[in-house]
Amino acid sequence: MVMAGPPIIEIEIKDHLFYPDEVRIPADTKVKLLVKNLDPTAEEFESYELNREKVIAGNSEAIIFIGPLSAGEYPFFGEFFPKTAQGKVIAE
Amino acid sequence: MLLNAVIIILREVLEAALIISVFLALSQLLNRKLGWMLVALIIGFSGAYLYAVNLSAISMAMEGTGQEVLNAVLHSVIFLSLLIFMITVPHQAHPMWRRINLVTIVLAVITAIVREGSEIILYIKGFIGIPDLLSPVLMGSAVGAGIGLSVGVFFYYLLVNMRKSHGIWLGYLILLLIGGSMVAQAVEFMIQADYIAATTPVWDSSHFISERSAVGQLLYALVGYEATPAPQQAAAYFSSILMLVVAAGISFMFRRKSS
Repeated sequence: MVMAGPPIIEIEIKDHLFYPDEVRIPADTKVKLLVKNLDPTAEEFESYELNREKVIAGNSEAIIFIGPLSAGEYPFFGEFFPKTAQGKVIAE
Repeated sequence: MLLNAVIIILREVLEAALIISVFLALSQLLNRKLGWMLVALIIGFSGAYLYAVNLSAISMAMEGTGQEVLNAVLHSVIFLSLLIFMITVPHQAHPMWRRINLVTIVLAVITAIVREGSEIILYIKGFIGIPDLLSPVLMGSAVGAGIGLSVGVFFYYLLVNMRKSHGIWLGYLILLLIGGSMVAQAVEFMIQADYIAATTPVWDSSHFISERSAVGQLLYALVGYEATPAPQQAAAYFSSILMLVVAAGISFMFRRKSS
């Protein structure tokens, strides 16, 4: 039996900004975020609403599972550069 | 940049400083020598450095969940150290228990420094190639570390200068809260890595005390406050505290019977 894994969504960090900064995911579904940090500096993906925190070294990537989430907005930010690195997950 | 550095470093230092200061104070109250502290600091910072420079490899290990698993292990080690520490305290007259007791203190301090120190090193290391930002970041980090250490020093003197029995009880109480917080964080990392299924939060107190607020941040450092914890996290928090109380209580009663 072949099991389909959770959908993968890519987010890039460049110049301390998230691309995209709005991530739309289906509600009530587990999703795998692949966060690529293209900056030379480390960043910490953090979200109080999602209960997630993960440090991503410069020029490397990380996997973060989120959900299943009920419909709504869940802000996340880069703890090391919070002035610019802001984004949100929209479950719908 | 400066203010941000203050906050980041303060958050990391606060948690480690709290664990270290309570153990230092309890060591003092239990008439232990404090030379172990230096050894623990050196090993702790070496470990933190190794973790920081190998972060990418660790993160991508175990299908991308290496960082979560390692953090969960570090938090669990601190909890187990607290548990064995509390069990062995009433048996200080016995040389073997006394030695195990010291080992648990050293292990908890080393692990706390590895966990919090690695993030500090990673954060600061990123700015080494950016001279414009490096000096405000270093300055902010120094201020943040200073405030965090001051809180640690405050707790140390508070505990040491109380009546001895009061100091030990308050120290115990703080360790219980730290223990609960450690297990809850370990569970949170296992959920993040998808080893434990995520479910809807058991409560939402974010409108009452937001985790973003200063009060929320302080409560997080002191008692492991979460505004939207998963049910497994809340269960782990309270049951681990209960476990510490029961284990310490049984060990204490055992001492009374045998002496």
